[in-house]
Order: sequence, then structure tokens, then C-alpha cells
Amino acid sequence: MWTGIILAAAGLTVGILVGLNVPLVLPQIYAQYLGLAVLAALDSVFGGVRAALENHYDNHIFITGFFSNILLAAGLAYIGTKLGVPLSTAAVVAFGVRLFQNLAIIRRYLLKK
Amino acid sequence: MNKTLYISITLVSVVLGLMVAFQFRTAGRVDSGVPIDRVQLLTTELKQLDKEYATLVNESKDLEQKLAQAEKGRPQASQAVQEELEKIRQLAGLTKLQGPGVEVNLSPLTKGENLFTVRDEDLLRVINELRAAGAEALAINGQRIVATSEIRLAGSFIDVNLTRISAPYSVLAIGSPGQLESALLIKGGLVDTMRDWGVSVTVNKKETVTVPAYTHRINLEYAKPLKEEG
Repeated sequence: MWTGIILAAAGLTVGILVGLNVPLVLPQIYAQYLGLAVLAALDSVFGGVRAALENHYDNHIFITGFFSNILLAAGLAYIGTKLGVPLSTAAVVAFGVRLFQNLAIIRRYLLKK
Repeated sequence: MNKTLYISITLVSVVLGLMVAFQFRTAGRVDSGVPIDRVQLLTTELKQLDKEYATLVNESKDLEQKLAQAEKGRPQASQAVQEELEKIRQLAGLTKLQGPGVEVNLSPLTKGENLFTVRDEDLLRVINELRAAGAEALAINGQRIVATSEIRLAGSFIDVNLTRISAPYSVLAIGSPGQLESALLIKGGLVDTMRDWGVSVTVNKKETVTVPAYTHRINLEYAKPLKEEG
């Protein structure tokens, strides 16, 4: 359990450091897609934490969910801009709602302990 | 089993960190970027300004053309004024003039006899006759006859332009030589009369007569121009 948390923290730090120091900068137009992807990733992570607390965590489901959510969110936003429909708003609302739900459930589990 | 779990957790956290950092950097540049709405706004503004620029360029061309015309007109106007001034100076007798004309020489037949001297009236008659025959410029012994010129007896001399002249008198006139000559030499005319009075008169037609300019000052002290009512 603790090694997992330490590994997660270390990975996050490494990722942030690399991301901040890479000379490559994403063009402005892709910022909204990446933002949605981050939202989706966060949603997946909180979903995984919730699953772990509910004791039905499955590694495969978590990993596939993580990446498919990211790609789906970004792809949806892209299609939305191509179609002229603000689909990114739909994704933001859906992921945001789920994020808050997951957070609320996690909080309850932590308080019940 | 545990190993794959740890690997996946690390991978996920690394990817998440990367994305967060990237997004943070990109979003940090929003201020320097241009939002899409603003782009449209600026595009319409640019189009409008382009149109305005085109009209202003046209206007400037038009104005430049007008300016060029005005520039062209100015020397013309000044030249016209100059020409007018020159003409008026010529009419006033302030310039030397040259042209075809006649020279009339008058001298008393015998010197010293008062009765037969050339009198001012003789000169006045000659001048008058020449003017009537169309003389354009007149001079007596180098004195140009202008509007204010007087010809009068002063003692035993004749004053012209307040300058004393004496015999023999030479009257220069510019005009049609034939007309001037015939006006003087007509039978029973002025020359005949003067010859009867004992004055020697000769009239010579000349190809070119040079009449001097009026050299005295012309001051209008009392006469003032009237403002034209209009």
C-alpha cells in the first residue's frame, strides 16, 4: 500500500519535472484537447482510488480505462471542433460530475474508517 | 501480480504528471496568445481599416493632383500679373520703347530773331497732331511726353517735364510712319502753317525710333483712387 503511494508520488514528480523542462511547447490550439485529457486522466485516477477503497480494484480495467478515457476525451473534443458542436463542454460536464462523485465517495470511505 | 500493479501506478502517475505540466505551460501562455473570438474581431477590423486605407489613398491622390494643378497655376498667374505690370509701365511711359515712326525737326529759320523762334504752342500742336495720327510714344529732345508732361514757355526757353530744352527741337514719335508723316505734311496742314510762320520743319520717316523712358518721379500726392463699388 505505502510503496504504491510512494511510487505514485515519485512518478508524478518525475512526470511534472520532465514536462516542465522539455523544450517542446504544445501549440495553443491543442491546449483545450490536452486539458480535457488531463480531466479524463484525473477522473480515471480518482475512479481507481475509489475502486481500491471499495476493494474491487482491477489493474487491467484501471489501465485501459485511464488511456481510453484520455483518448476518448481528446478525440471527442477534436470531433466537436470539426463538427462545429461544442462537444468538449459535454466531456467537461460529464467528467467533472464524475470527479466530484468519486471524490465524495472517497471522502466518505476515509471518514468511515 | 504486485509488480505489474506498481508498474502501472508509476506509469499512470508519470503520464498524468507530464500532461499536467504540459497543460500548465500551455495555459500559462494564454495571455500572450490570441483567443479565437478576438481573432475574428481583429480580422473584421483589419478589413475595415484596409477599406478605409484604400479610400484615404484615393483621396490623397486626388488632393495631390489638385495641389499639382495649383502649383502649375501659380507661376502662370504671377506671369500674367508681371505681363500686365509691364504693359502698364509701357503705357505710363516708364520704359524705353522702340519701333517705326517719324522724327520731326523744328528750328527757327534765322537765329536770334525773337519773332521767328519756335514757340511752345508750335511744339504742342505738333505733339497734338502726332497723337491724333496715332502716335504711341512721344519725346521732345529726350524728354518723354507722359500724362503729366507740360510744354510751356519759360522765359526764352521751353520747359518739358520741368526740364529746359532749346532749339533745335527734335520730336520723336512711334507709330505708323506713313500716317504720322501724312498727318503733318497734309496740304494746308500744320507743317505748311509753321513754314509760313518761319519755322524750318523736316519730317523724316524712320524704320526704328527709340523713345527714352520718363526719368522723373511720379507722385500722386492729392489724387487717391476711388474704391470701385461693386
